Amino acid sequence: MKKVLSLLVVLALGFGIINSLNQNSSFPKFGEADVSDRVSDRYINKNVTEENEEVIFGEDGYETGSSNFVTSIVANYRSFDTLGEVTVLFISAFGVALLFSKDSKRVSLNFKPNFMLRVGSRALFGLIIMTGIYISVHGHLTPGGGFPGGTMIASSILLLYLSNDSFRTKIKGFKLLEGFMGSLYVLIGVAGIYVTGYFLENFLDTGVVGDLFSAGIIPIVYVIIGLKVGSEIASIIDNFLTEEVS
Amino acid sequence: MNPVLLIAIPLLFAFLSIMNKKFARPLLLVALLLDVYLVFTISKGLYSIGGFSQYGINLLVDQYSLIGLMVVNVVFFLTVVTNCKEVKRLSTVLLVALAGVNGLLLTNDLFNLFVFLEIVGISAYLITSGNKRPLATFNYLVQGTVGSGLYLLGLILLYSMTGTLNMALILPTIVDKAIPLSNLALPFMLMFIGLGVEAKLLPFNSWVKGVLQNANALTSVLIAGVFATTIALTFGRLLSTVFVLGSISNIVLVILAVTMLAGEVAAFASKRIREVLLFSAIAQSGLIILLFANGLVIPAIMLIIANIVSKYILFTITGKMVDGTKTDEIESLQGVFSKNKLVGFAFTVASLSVIGLPLFFGFIVKLNILTSLFSQYQLFLSALILVVSLIEGTYFVKLLIKLWYSVGEVKTFKVDALVKVVTLIFALGLIVFGVYTKPLTDSLMTVPEEMMEAIAERGNF
Repeated sequence: MKKVLSLLVVLALGFGIINSLNQNSSFPKFGEADVSDRVSDRYINKNVTEENEEVIFGEDGYETGSSNFVTSIVANYRSFDTLGEVTVLFISAFGVALLFSKDSKRVSLNFKPNFMLRVGSRALFGLIIMTGIYISVHGHLTPGGGFPGGTMIASSILLLYLSNDSFRTKIKGFKLLEGFMGSLYVLIGVAGIYVTGYFLENFLDTGVVGDLFSAGIIPIVYVIIGLKVGSEIASIIDNFLTEEVS
Repeated sequence: MNPVLLIAIPLLFAFLSIMNKKFARPLLLVALLLDVYLVFTISKGLYSIGGFSQYGINLLVDQYSLIGLMVVNVVFFLTVVTNCKEVKRLSTVLLVALAGVNGLLLTNDLFNLFVFLEIVGISAYLITSGNKRPLATFNYLVQGTVGSGLYLLGLILLYSMTGTLNMALILPTIVDKAIPLSNLALPFMLMFIGLGVEAKLLPFNSWVKGVLQNANALTSVLIAGVFATTIALTFGRLLSTVFVLGSISNIVLVILAVTMLAGEVAAFASKRIREVLLFSAIAQSGLIILLFANGLVIPAIMLIIANIVSKYILFTITGKMVDGTKTDEIESLQGVFSKNKLVGFAFTVASLSVIGLPLFFGFIVKLNILTSLFSQYQLFLSALILVVSLIEGTYFVKLLIKLWYSVGEVKTFKVDALVKVVTLIFALGLIVFGVYTKPLTDSLMTVPEEMMEAIAERGNF
């Protein structure tokens, strides 16, 4: 009975939302939103602090200098939100460790990795971690960036976990890396206050759109995010794989 | 001083604190001290992050956020200092929570507000996990997550209609584009529900009982005092400067009135001291949001200040009492204050102030609320508040009589000197402000004007 009632409530709510949006004349249809009167227009044309007609690949002197405009929003225009999201992941990873660390014991994996798994995962480890680092480093040029790159780095660590039982003892370094990268992100933000007056301001030269060394602090921030996300997810994996609440 | 440091310093210390656990608690204390110092030195204005004026994220410091920051940071600091033993493992979580709380009070951006809501939410789940009631914490986690998800959905709809996330630009854009109020009902309702979960409004508050029923002094003061105040102030800013309730305002008023009434009735029926206090907290937050929804900003802020001070006293003393006597049944706590007179005095002052007896700060607040409501000809609400006060008075007086007059054997409990001093100072504060309110009312005078100033300027610098 309770389940039927819940289903009815959910259906009614869903119907209500869809119905009210269909009749809503101010709500633009999919793909028909007028971008010209929104903040997104200024973000795409890098128009917030200066006047541009269009961003041209290979030219220099734009306000963010990143050729991937999703990245320029995530790591520059709204970098403060990203710092917040990194904190959300940080506190979640810390919470997992906190809940497991109390009255728990470390358990060892209850299977022995065979030869194929050991050799195969070692071969794959290099490839995956390189892709992860590449994606983090090129976040300002191509799709991707610190969050997916960091997750890939963590997945290569997961492979090492599965194949090498003694690897787990070496994991302490992740905490240091995580804390160090987080502090660096905040310090770059604070440096902005003293260089130009604004927190998280892009105070380095933004360079030529499309170059690897361009876009000022964006690639630096994205590498920091990549390493931080990677070490956080790796430590979550560590906790879930090997700790047991008694 | 740039107010972003209020957020950046605790965050930096949180990241540093996981590298070596030994330094976590000293870092927390240093961060709290720095924040309390900063709060009293920052100056008013709009502060851009990244330098993108109204197109990026801004922090807004006006009289409203300044008062909120002062109250919340000071109480946060005192809560940590008076519960130093319980803090141990939670230091990093509290650092992040401090950053989140300051962020919620400062931000002038709807999505940024969501991010800080998440940060404060997750820290709150972790803080309540110390209660060793995993199911209650899990309930809180599920409801809180669904709530912030609904807030996010409402925010997306609002953005797709207005094209901006800047809180100072939403109202002007709605006017410019002539968006009809009926089209805005859905996003505002979703955002209202989302915040309503954290603000303990009925029917989204079933997590409160499980969480606060078993909480120690640290957890309950943080959840019912610090976080509740922050959420109420955030909610208040949205209700006064962003939301245009229009056609849904009647539904909202009914929800709030029912929250208040149901909270007081449940408190009246409770037999355990922590339950009485938690239901009373629910009723109070219903009343606070009700005042904001009616545009009564000044009485609402006064009530928030009175609320956080009395909640600090009541929950700290109750937490210590339950720790010492291992029970929270009112019947078995009879006469505890006859052996702890100073603590009993502070508790009594706080509860009499909540009821609204003359000579205490709560009286000035209630008087202010009622006169403002009468001047709006809100006779029904005024009557409701009077009835609710009557119920409140009855159960608090009943509780006080039980706790003071001993029958047979009396349980004892020990309280640190520091807790005694802080609760006594707060209690004296309630009496002083109950007699001499001029400095407070003077500093509140300009709040509504200043809140609208950023909107009139359209978020420009």
